[in-house]
Amino acid sequence: MTFASVSLVPCRRRVLSHSSVAFALGALSLGALSLASVGVAQPAPGPFTTAGGEWPSHTGDTRGTRYSPLDQISAANFGSLEVAWRFKTDQLGPRPEYKLEGTPLVVGGVLYTTAGTRRAVVALDAATGEMLWMHSENEGARGAASPRPLSGRGLAYWSDGKSARILYVTPGYRLIALDAKTGARIPSFGVNGEVDLKKEVDDPILPDLETGEIGYQGAPTVARDVVIIGAAFREGGAPKSYRNNRGDIRGFDVRTGKRLWTFHTIPRKGEFGYDTWLNGSAESAGNTGVWTQITADEELGLVYLPVESPTGDYYGGHRPGNNLFGESLVCIDLRTGKRKWHYQIVRHPIWDFDLAAAPILADITVDGALIKSVALPTKQGILYMFDRVTGKPVWPMEEREVEKGEVPGEWYAPTQPIPVKPLAYARNGVTLDDLIDFTPALKEAGIAAASKFKLGPIYTPPVLSQAEGPLATFTNGPTNGGSNWPGGSYDPETHIIYLSATNASPSALGLVTPAKGASDMDYVRGFAPGAGRAGFTVQGLPLLKPPYGTISAINLDNGEIVWQTPHGETPDAVRNHEALKGLAIARTGQAGSVGTLVTKTLVIAGDPEVTTVAPRPRGAVLRAYDKMSGKEVGGVPLPAPQSGSPMTYAVNGRQYLVVAVSGGPYSGEYIAFRLPAPSTR
Amino acid sequence: MRSRRVNAVLVLVVVTLLTASAASVDAMMSWSRGPQHQRERTIWDSVYSAEQAERGDSAYKQLCARCHMENLAGSDEAVELTGSAFVGSWSGQSLADLHDRIRTSMPTDTPGVYGRQQIVDVMAYMLRYNGFPAGAAPLTHESDVLREIRFLARRP
Repeated sequence: MTFASVSLVPCRRRVLSHSSVAFALGALSLGALSLASVGVAQPAPGPFTTAGGEWPSHTGDTRGTRYSPLDQISAANFGSLEVAWRFKTDQLGPRPEYKLEGTPLVVGGVLYTTAGTRRAVVALDAATGEMLWMHSENEGARGAASPRPLSGRGLAYWSDGKSARILYVTPGYRLIALDAKTGARIPSFGVNGEVDLKKEVDDPILPDLETGEIGYQGAPTVARDVVIIGAAFREGGAPKSYRNNRGDIRGFDVRTGKRLWTFHTIPRKGEFGYDTWLNGSAESAGNTGVWTQITADEELGLVYLPVESPTGDYYGGHRPGNNLFGESLVCIDLRTGKRKWHYQIVRHPIWDFDLAAAPILADITVDGALIKSVALPTKQGILYMFDRVTGKPVWPMEEREVEKGEVPGEWYAPTQPIPVKPLAYARNGVTLDDLIDFTPALKEAGIAAASKFKLGPIYTPPVLSQAEGPLATFTNGPTNGGSNWPGGSYDPETHIIYLSATNASPSALGLVTPAKGASDMDYVRGFAPGAGRAGFTVQGLPLLKPPYGTISAINLDNGEIVWQTPHGETPDAVRNHEALKGLAIARTGQAGSVGTLVTKTLVIAGDPEVTTVAPRPRGAVLRAYDKMSGKEVGGVPLPAPQSGSPMTYAVNGRQYLVVAVSGGPYSGEYIAFRLPAPSTR
Repeated sequence: MRSRRVNAVLVLVVVTLLTASAASVDAMMSWSRGPQHQRERTIWDSVYSAEQAERGDSAYKQLCARCHMENLAGSDEAVELTGSAFVGSWSGQSLADLHDRIRTSMPTDTPGVYGRQQIVDVMAYMLRYNGFPAGAAPLTHESDVLREIRFLARRP
């Protein structure tokens, strides 16, 4: 393995002194604005906050909020935003990347982010985009074998006031600590700046360090002086075996890299929850990691783990029982990793309802009582809320009886918990009422297309796929429905949460016997041979009816939806469709995982699809909504879909928005927007 | 002397590439797009054969379905290859762009291992799956030919 850090420090000094001049000028001309002034000296004294114009953690803070109180960019001027700089990522690896999902950090006028097919780390001048340093690891075969390759979603910053570090996880699953000033490894951390996450484990990662399946593409969470690392695996619809590596969650000392604790998401013998794996299946089951962002309450010293499914996304016959802590929200102690409380969102998971979004910490007032809550957006489009100290649900949970399936060998949980509030903010189950109905003919065609499938409400179980039908259970959610990895945003001033959601991400939950030698699972995801086309489109139109994607605002003090609006232009395939000529189709929004940002006045999010709507160029749009009303108040064109969550910061007295774009033919790029300089407005 | 000339050529190439890429980006960010050629071939002109799509079907199941799913609907980690997001993101591009994209980035662990013919067969399958018509002749993998066929969401 080789690594390289390219430091351009002399150049940076020049740039910084130049920026200092710009800062002085900017401060003079923008004196009336309430922006925090942000110096460029680095490291600056902490603690760093979004209120100070920084973005020091992946979600702005460790609380999952994606909130900044900056207000220079507003409804009045959003449309006049211009590109401040662009950073194309093609050369940060042996080939371009088309899936750039990072959210950068900004501290002290420097922007840090991951990018490129090798997940390089770059430090950029936050005002100009000029590269200050770059660090990249060539992990060879180990990197290539990663279950979570490419540029990842970001990194973490830590400072003790004297020095500062950048921490990230490589595709090959190594935790690297870099000097934030130079990009050089920190020699005193782990072994020469690295902790091998495949070695620092309770059980060996099989079959070997190079190909052993485990990784993490999220940003590490740094809370106080602890680095918390998740675990991810390949997609689990058709695993090679019902045995797999396990997704233990670990805490490391941010100074030394020493492992402080390990939380077993699959309990070991003698540990709480072991008996929820019948027939001793806790010994064989794997996965059950946390592949999304982990949230921490630094004041309370508590960590919130959104845990994914155990091995076999759609078939759990090899792991009978409820399977704690699969698809559970688990609260653990930051210092010790010991479990404080847990709540299993889905018992005996067989729908791939991984807890995909970062939990969000919200201090709310319900019926006059203060509650330190944790809110969990989900693929189900249901927001689950708990007292984050005790684990008690904020709103009552209803035990809903769910259908028992007929897949041989499967074990079914008879009920699943569903909160009475807030109401679901996205479609989850699919019935005939959810199908396309623009015209009677299309409705008929939609019903015919859906007749190959089993329909039903949320938690309708997977079926054995049969060519004559049903081919699969047709539902929305498991693949990319509801909320996924970008999560939501929360405004701590108004107690309103903002959640993007996909209503049209159809999933086919069909099971087949695996091909000979392909797996030791009894059943894996698939369609029966000879089934023919099993698509989710009708004449090129989505089989599910609009809105395809929305943003919802929910008041967490009372659990009521304040507003909900379709997000994204009506797709070209719908807007230009011959069968819809002459019909007035309201904006449909778009399906896709969309990250949101909430500021003092706006909710900001980009389209997840490309459209061509004159007079703007072919591309997507970064949109702003009035956060109280949901009214769209402005937009600027993007050359490609938003593929990472937007963030904001202030430097030299000016507010910036940065968003990652990529997809289709467009390779990864970070684009920074700001308002025109006062003198040019 | 020699190395200096090589360096000069390299610089020229890099500058040209950067200029070209900046220009295309500017074109995308501007608010107008030039008129399209009147009689160009598009994916609505039956540009692949049914037999080729069958070959592509087999290749797709073997090489692509594990992540992109049998019904092309995608998964958590792999984008969908059907529906409005897919069609929208490629509309206006040439089939050479699509071929290059697959060739240079798939599969993610060992990109570059698929043959040009294999890729074009899978493209034929993707076109059929998305409802674009088949014809008598197969789609060739020649870049010059693919470059002249435009992916269009809407029948021209």
